[in-house]
Amino acid sequence: MTDATLSTLARAETARLKQFAETLIEPLGDIEVVQSRTGLVMLPMRDTAQGTAFHLGEVLVSEAHIRSQGHEGYGMRRGTDLQAAMAMALVDLALQTGVSKETCEAFCAAEAAAQQADDTAVLRKVEATRVDMETF
Amino acid sequence: MAYVATRGGERAIEQAERLFREEIGPFDHSRVHEIKQSLPYLIDRVMGEASLYDEDLAALALAQTGGEMFEAVLLLRAWRTTQPRLTVAKPVEQKDLFTHRRISAAFKDIPGGQVLGPTLDYAHRILATDVLGGSAYAPEPVEAAEKPAPANVPSVSAWQAENDLVDLPDPDPTQGNEIPDLTREPLLFPAKRAHTLQSLARAETGGTLALGYSAMRGYGSAHPTVNEVRLSEAEIEVTHPDGRTFSAGRVKLSQAEVVDKKGEKLSLGFAATFGWNEVKCISAATLDLNSPGAAKGSATEEEFFLYHTEGVESSGFCIHFKLPHYVTFQSSLDAMRDAKAKKAAQSSSSATEPAE
Repeated sequence: MTDATLSTLARAETARLKQFAETLIEPLGDIEVVQSRTGLVMLPMRDTAQGTAFHLGEVLVSEAHIRSQGHEGYGMRRGTDLQAAMAMALVDLALQTGVSKETCEAFCAAEAAAQQADDTAVLRKVEATRVDMETF
Repeated sequence: MAYVATRGGERAIEQAERLFREEIGPFDHSRVHEIKQSLPYLIDRVMGEASLYDEDLAALALAQTGGEMFEAVLLLRAWRTTQPRLTVAKPVEQKDLFTHRRISAAFKDIPGGQVLGPTLDYAHRILATDVLGGSAYAPEPVEAAEKPAPANVPSVSAWQAENDLVDLPDPDPTQGNEIPDLTREPLLFPAKRAHTLQSLARAETGGTLALGYSAMRGYGSAHPTVNEVRLSEAEIEVTHPDGRTFSAGRVKLSQAEVVDKKGEKLSLGFAATFGWNEVKCISAATLDLNSPGAAKGSATEEEFFLYHTEGVESSGFCIHFKLPHYVTFQSSLDAMRDAKAKKAAQSSSSATEPAE
């Protein structure tokens, strides 16, 4: 089971995420930056004919890894925006350390709702292309 | 083949590159953005063949090369070597895909139904020439359904296995760095299935279609029926340092399964790639279906189609023939002249011989 909050943060709208994370920098205090870099994630897939796991190719991501009070904050998002990955890590760290807990949870809930709404809008259009087929 | 170093032409080389770039002209981020927004299927094709998923980089590669696809793919393959590999994500499972399109030509009533998704399959192919006269082209909006389609739909082959039409193997437990990887080890034959499918995922679309089409037209042993074609988005499942797993985002991918009758069961061919590119997947799956027992040197033999659909190597080998081959060609001419001279000497000596 994947962590819904982290998955939401990884897809959160970039400008809103950065803007929100800005507000966490001061209350979080001293933070050790362990990693801030771009890199590749190899993405495998399972073949449906013979069950073999094989590599589709690599996805470009940005990664941020921070540490504070024994907690690890982590962000990984598609693309080269290091600030956005760092913003994700800050929200993750804040949630773990209880800094601005309620506003963090509210931010994540709002982003999750926005993503759900986007997905539903796409799937309603997809549903419009469903075929009720008759053969003669 | 022999090569010889040549000297000179530095200025010509520099000016030639300038001439190429001058014709494309200066560009900035706005052109890259425009390419990314307006040409998603071209971006998909480039990302698939480059085996590197990032729309911005693919759009940049197209802008920088003026749309010279082989150069764009080469730029991206070269660039990826500058980046560290952070991790290997969890293998994507078909049942988890966020599905936009899923159709079957083999069965009408597949579980989950037939959903066309975005396609021009049934469109009239009419060029919108009015645009050149100054009119804007505004597509009709989709009339969305009340209820959303289910995001996840089951695989057709799993349903066929329940009906004793195909044998589904036990899933391969290989994960992470244990999965064979063509970018880190050579392609050897007979190829591991993981290598074959990875190579087809990176294959050049035109080459894959040409060889797949030859099999479809009868130069293969199995006629494909499309069991399932799917366009979807997959989650990139990675692990937080504290052990929690999460999705780092979604990527578009396409896959095809083709079937043929084999005794009392159906045999399956499979292929998938980054981006939405059905032609490549159906062609590649057809090659996969046809490859068992294919004759050496035939288009459906694994070694033949894997080597010849590798776009960077094949285009690179093709264009290397433009480079100076003066010494090898002179040597061929020498051999030709020598043979001619010997033949002439022979015929002149036989002409002077007295008739018996």
